[in-house]
Amino acid sequence: MSIEEQYRTRAKELLSGGAVKMVIGYGKGTTASRRRPLFISSPDDVERLVLDDACITNLSGYLVSEGLLSDEKRVAVFLRPEGIRAVNILAAESQLDAEQIVIFGFDVSGTEVRALKGIHVEEFSDVIGSIKEGAPEASEEELFEKIEKMSPQERFSFWQEEFAKCIKCYACRQACPMCYCRRCIVDSNQPQWVNTSSHSLGNFEWNIVRAFHLSGRCVECGNCDRACPVNIPLRLINHRMAEEVLGAFDHFAGMSKTQEPVLASFKKDDSETFIL
Amino acid sequence: MAKIGVFICHCGENIGAKVDCTKLAAAMGEHPGVAVSVEYKYFCSDPGQESVKRAIRENNLTGVVVAACSPRMHEATFRKACAEAGLNPYLCEIANIREQCSWVHTDNGQATEKAMDITRSMVEKVKRNNKLQPIEVPVTRRALVIGGGIAGIQAALDIANAGQEVVLVEREPSLGGHMAQLSETFPTLDCSQCIMTPRMVEAAQHPKIRLLTYSEIESVDGYIGNFSVRVRMKSRYVDIDKCTGCGDCITKCPAKKISSEFDCGLGKRTAIYTPFAQSVPNIPVIDKANCIYFKNGKCKICSKTCQCSAIDFDMPDTFVDLEIGAIVVATGFQVQNNTMYGEYGYGTYPDVINGLQFERLASASGPTAGKIQRPSDGAEPQTVVFIQCAGSRDPSKGVRYCSKICCMYTAKHAMLYAHKVHGGKTHIFYMDIRAAGKGYDEFSRRAIEEDEAAYLRGRVSKVWQENGKLMVRGVDTLLGRPVEIAADMVVLATAIIAQPDAKDFAKTIGIGYDEYGFYNEAHLKLRPVESSTAGVFLAGACQSPKDIPDSVAQASATASKVLALFSKDMLEREPVVATNNEATCAGCWGCVLACPYNAIEQKDILDRSGRIIKRVASVNPGLCQGCGTCVTFCRSNSLDLAGFTEKQIFAEVMGL
Ligand SMILES: Cc1cc2nc3c(=O)[nH]c(=O)nc-3n(C[C@H](O)[C@H](O)[C@H](O)COP(=O)(O)OP(=O)(O)OC[C@H]3O[C@@H](n4cnc5c(N)ncnc54)[C@H](O)[C@@H]3O)c2cc1C
Ligand code: SF4
Ligand code: SF4
Ligand code: SF4
Ligand code: SF4
Repeated sequence: MSIEEQYRTRAKELLSGGAVKMVIGYGKGTTASRRRPLFISSPDDVERLVLDDACITNLSGYLVSEGLLSDEKRVAVFLRPEGIRAVNILAAESQLDAEQIVIFGFDVSGTEVRALKGIHVEEFSDVIGSIKEGAPEASEEELFEKIEKMSPQERFSFWQEEFAKCIKCYACRQACPMCYCRRCIVDSNQPQWVNTSSHSLGNFEWNIVRAFHLSGRCVECGNCDRACPVNIPLRLINHRMAEEVLGAFDHFAGMSKTQEPVLASFKKDDSETFIL
Repeated sequence: MAKIGVFICHCGENIGAKVDCTKLAAAMGEHPGVAVSVEYKYFCSDPGQESVKRAIRENNLTGVVVAACSPRMHEATFRKACAEAGLNPYLCEIANIREQCSWVHTDNGQATEKAMDITRSMVEKVKRNNKLQPIEVPVTRRALVIGGGIAGIQAALDIANAGQEVVLVEREPSLGGHMAQLSETFPTLDCSQCIMTPRMVEAAQHPKIRLLTYSEIESVDGYIGNFSVRVRMKSRYVDIDKCTGCGDCITKCPAKKISSEFDCGLGKRTAIYTPFAQSVPNIPVIDKANCIYFKNGKCKICSKTCQCSAIDFDMPDTFVDLEIGAIVVATGFQVQNNTMYGEYGYGTYPDVINGLQFERLASASGPTAGKIQRPSDGAEPQTVVFIQCAGSRDPSKGVRYCSKICCMYTAKHAMLYAHKVHGGKTHIFYMDIRAAGKGYDEFSRRAIEEDEAAYLRGRVSKVWQENGKLMVRGVDTLLGRPVEIAADMVVLATAIIAQPDAKDFAKTIGIGYDEYGFYNEAHLKLRPVESSTAGVFLAGACQSPKDIPDSVAQASATASKVLALFSKDMLEREPVVATNNEATCAGCWGCVLACPYNAIEQKDILDRSGRIIKRVASVNPGLCQGCGTCVTFCRSNSLDLAGFTEKQIFAEVMGL
């Protein structure tokens, strides 16, 4: 039986037995190569679920939709390893109760789709651990290195050019599972720290603030990058921040559902004396 | 409409010589919202403050900016003046044009430009200041003194004698600290025990002092006036209420060969023991690690001997929870372990000892009953070499600082030796003789002139054993030649260092420390006995190496600070505290973790039927210290700090 079949069967069981109230997965998209999020609550709909190499969107963000989990019922969700990490962070940041989340884990290499064993987040710690140790994909590695090799001036003008394209649509924010705040700092206008106009200063402010807010939290799922209508390579900047926190604090975002947020926690044995 | 008064202070030449104050006053006078802009030579003077008050009344000012020195100097002065003129004190701000401007710039034109930027930015801030009311918190009138050395005892007695309650916590089985170990004390040579033990007894018997020995601080929470402290009373295995201190158990204990900590390894003690004969309280403890019963389940001789059935091998550690208003930290020091100086042979040759060990040899109650004897064979040494700065002032191996007391105690040792061993010879290798203090130089001169201490200015390169002698090779830098001395005993004036657990302990109580682990005072000159944490004070050698007179003086100073605090029913606290916007808070709890003072709690927002709608962060204004950490952390910008609101800071930045 293909994984798609297995997961359909499991979804059917869970829904008909009432173990979960909803399954969030992927359905057919507008073109043959696209998938769109699918929300089903009836066992009769499981046939609409699709699972193949085109299922790339990180669906974890839907879990924190207002009111979805407040009845304490369970919800099942299709997740790649990045999505599982995102659930860990959301749990660590008290946005959801990990007990309520039933995971349909999978991973894709090339065109092959592989099932990941486990139901609850804590069962995936080995998978997450191996991503922490592993290297990024070769194609990405090249790009990372190219940017790394630039002089600060070159890098600045690279990002200046990229950010100049930003139209402040905030699609990146909407697509990101980590951007769950009810009111984002850009929407706060008393005072208006981040300029809303899409001129170069405003664009810089926005993209840098977002990078900071995601450092130690971004799971590199690529949702933002794909959502950006003007193709700003947002993954590059988030990847860089992830490397910083990994190097400086050995913090790999989403390792566990109890992981303390790196920028809010401190260790008592820190050698810096300003830490009391 | 804002009516801001700008008062530009020359601070004599301090600001006036670099900043063109007339130009600055004129420019600020033009700035929108400024009603008055004047300059004066010294605004902090009486007439200066009067003119500010007059200007407030005459012009109905809505805010005041004093462009002067650092707010640390005079913010309080000017806020008070404003309050006296009827203006809420938090509508007054200081623009620092001295430390941040005139003092650091050489070019007058540029300094003036910068002063304008700084002042303008403050005017913009003040326009958005809110009236704030001080927060009142109650004060628990009970002090905690941590450490029962001379400093802790002095502080406890001073506070208790003023009628306030004290809890004195000492982690060893007895009070006393290092002073109890000393023989005689410079600069008067009075017997240490004779002056120390009466104070120990006084502290133990004082009706206002609760003494907790063999106890350690487990945790400290809360804030000035309102600390909650948990103390762990380590199990003595001896019931303190039943024991009469007869000492029969100690005499009978068969484990007799344990090296005595109090005698610095020169004497022996039993497994059930008091550190020294005059211990306070005179109640023994069982050293579990060395007790035969605890090791192999057989013995219990002490328990059979005890007529009061005071011994209880199952006694657990107990905890005491205390409500405390102020804390005095008096945890003292340690002497450095000299084995790191392999060339001096400490730890290899038994007759190379440190100063504290010499104190025990010279002490009438010590292991040799006050006779100076070599540890190796008990012979009386005829030649003794003292090496000063063995660890101090040595950035490569030891510590960079001067341990302050070693020059003096080495002179004392040479004198004590001369008094006890007639005809004996002393040689002292030194770098400098630092004898600043009342009667100190006279004291060290006496060692040289009357007791024939031979001072050699120079360092020792090596100590080795040859024909039953300790050969000391060094250099006499005044004569410029190498020297070699055949000695019977070598005494190292070991560096004074912080307690090994000083840094961890600082974290438990929440105070700062320097790179060596000595505790930081709030201001070295002006607030030397206060830590940077309100309500926590420092006494004795835990802050820096100190002799007894300084430790006692500092202890009494902390007592006066504590008593001043206890003189009020309510404490006024700055209303600079964070508040949370519950509507926008995302409930991520980052701030809860980030707050170094545990001032943020989780709060449930309920609907009418009591169902949780959402959970948000909520700041306890009594605990919040206004550090702003949470504000910088909050991604949704929900937290704001009174007195430094986002609006104010934004206006300040935009005003530049
Ligand atoms: C060899 C030598 C000779 C000296 N001779 C002289 C002299 O002749 N004249 C002179 O003026 N000074 C002399 N001094 C200096 C003198 O010993 C100190 O000034 C004095 O002991 C400092 O007192 P204190 O209370 O600060 O510290 P300490 O005496 O060290 O007392 C600190 C106490 O706190 C306790 N403690 C530590 N940590 C904790 C904790 N976490 N919880 C609870 N309790 C704790 C310790 O057990 C100890 O009892 C000499 C020092 C040395 C080393
Ligand atoms: S920032 Fe982008 S890549 Fe990172 S978690 Fe958010 S959507 Fe995914
Ligand atoms: S999605 Fe792209 S264009 Fe839109 S706000 Fe984000 S970076 Fe700018
Ligand atoms: S950091 Fe901000 S959003 Fe998060 S809990 Fe605190 S106040 Fe709320
Ligand atoms: S300002 Fe914030 S972080 Fe600082 S003490 Fe107050 S609540 Fe805690």
